[in-house]
Amino acid sequence: MNGMPTALITGGTSGIGLALAQRLAGGHCLVLTGRGDGAGLPVDALFVKADLSRPEEAVETVASALRSAGVSSLSKLILNAGTGTYAQADAEDAATIRRTLDVNLVASVLMAHRLAPLLEEGRGRLVLIGSVAHRGSANMPSYAASKAGLTGLARSLRAEWDGRIGVQIIHPGPTRTPMHEKAGYDPGGLEKMFFSADAMADEVARLMETGRPGATVIFGARIRRLLTGKPS
Amino acid sequence: MKALVTGAAAGLGAALVQQFLSSGGAVVAIDRDELQGGGRLVPLVADLSDRDSVDALLPRIVEAGPYDFVVHNAGVSATGPFEQIPPQAYRRLLTLNTETPMVMTAELLRSGSLSKGAHVVFISSLSHATGYPGAAVYAASKDALAVYAKSVRAQMKKRGVHVTTVFPGPVRTAHAERHAPAGARADQRMEPKDLAARIIAAARRRKKVLYPGPQARIGHIAGLLAPRLTTRMMRRIIFEKLDRTVY
Ligand SMILES: NC(=O)c1ccc[n+]([C@@H]2O[C@H](COP(=O)([O-])OP(=O)(O)OC[C@H]3O[C@@H](n4cnc5c(N)ncnc54)[C@H](OP(=O)(O)O)[C@@H]3O)[C@@H](O)[C@H]2O)c1
Repeated sequence: MNGMPTALITGGTSGIGLALAQRLAGGHCLVLTGRGDGAGLPVDALFVKADLSRPEEAVETVASALRSAGVSSLSKLILNAGTGTYAQADAEDAATIRRTLDVNLVASVLMAHRLAPLLEEGRGRLVLIGSVAHRGSANMPSYAASKAGLTGLARSLRAEWDGRIGVQIIHPGPTRTPMHEKAGYDPGGLEKMFFSADAMADEVARLMETGRPGATVIFGARIRRLLTGKPS
Repeated sequence: MKALVTGAAAGLGAALVQQFLSSGGAVVAIDRDELQGGGRLVPLVADLSDRDSVDALLPRIVEAGPYDFVVHNAGVSATGPFEQIPPQAYRRLLTLNTETPMVMTAELLRSGSLSKGAHVVFISSLSHATGYPGAAVYAASKDALAVYAKSVRAQMKKRGVHVTTVFPGPVRTAHAERHAPAGARADQRMEPKDLAARIIAAARRRKKVLYPGPQARIGHIAGLLAPRLTTRMMRRIIFEKLDRTVY
């Protein structure tokens, strides 16, 4: 690809990932993954179709697509794809638990593992999209667990990779995206309080520039956006 | 009193089984290795890092229940530089340490296999407080388990089931021996017997969390007061001293 740095975003086909892709499009070569057909993505972006609920296959698919496209270094690996189901502990079946852990945690571990050499080559950074739920959630226990897993991964890997590859984790607060409906949750009137996907992507992009190791996007961001006249 | 213990053949699991038996309880003991059954000990063989094996086990667990005490103890580590450990090892580790206890808990709840007043114990790790460079995926698996436990506590309580999460530091087991960095002192690790007794006592006292022993308590406080510094220190005392990759 041309001289611009390359950013890979998993789940770049919807919600926060897509909004972030649109924001990064000008200054980056983009690689976006998802399960769909890749319609409606920024032009020039390379779309890779991969189902992260089968992490081993998906990682192979992404790695070989990068190889075919001649991408040998990454400046950002943004592991954003995520899924969850709104259900309490006794209503989560094995398939739900496994899918949630596979997409959110196992796929992230294996993707970071496989693409670490490209990040090192690009003096790049691993960016994990967590969630405020990483501290626990009675209504989404396995989702919360998967995001806590990402938090733990980020913390230890950051220390391990110190000076080689950056590691950042960003925890979005509630955001208006299709995720809630897919999870079987109707926020009702609460949705008005959510960030828009654009505002969230804006905050994530801003945090990526600071390189802060970890950050939560919720009240502080909302107040700052209010004060600076930006829409939430 | 009937207990369910995973990873029952060695280390902490074996110590827990012994203590449940010697206090007059019955134990359903799960391990990959066949245990000598008889009397009040019912061994079940399964590979908890394998989904098919877990799926085959679940109905047998339900059949052998209900339980007054469950300890999700089975776990493995993978130590070494993150990139040098094969992906299959990470998959097995995440299944065993995180997914299986979650799937099992959901099934125990769904099937009504937990008696009123039962205790469910999740064994996380002190790494939840300190981070663990050199075992990043192990740390991830134990953080995920700890937050799962925290997430389900309120709903379990409504059913009269109490959840305790344990954050042990190093324990004197063959497992710890394999993963310790060069020159680490075995005499500073807690005896499995001692740890088992503390866990049972803490669960019975309905403690939400247990940091067993002085080492774990210090690690906990250090992690609370100075999380980044603590993880950097862990890097120095563990990651930089690792002389081999073990999984
Ligand atoms: N929305 C919120 O309130 C909120 C709050 C905190 C954290 N987050 C996190 O933010 C991230 C983005 O979420 P979002 O709100 O933007 O949700 P979204 O609109 O539903 O987007 C999720 C993305 O993940 C991808 N994805 C889901 N399952 C996948 C699978 N099996 N294989 C491959 N890709 C898969 C989807 O791609 P395809 O559908 O094309 O496969 C989609 O691009 C997630 O990690 C989420 O947990 C969201």
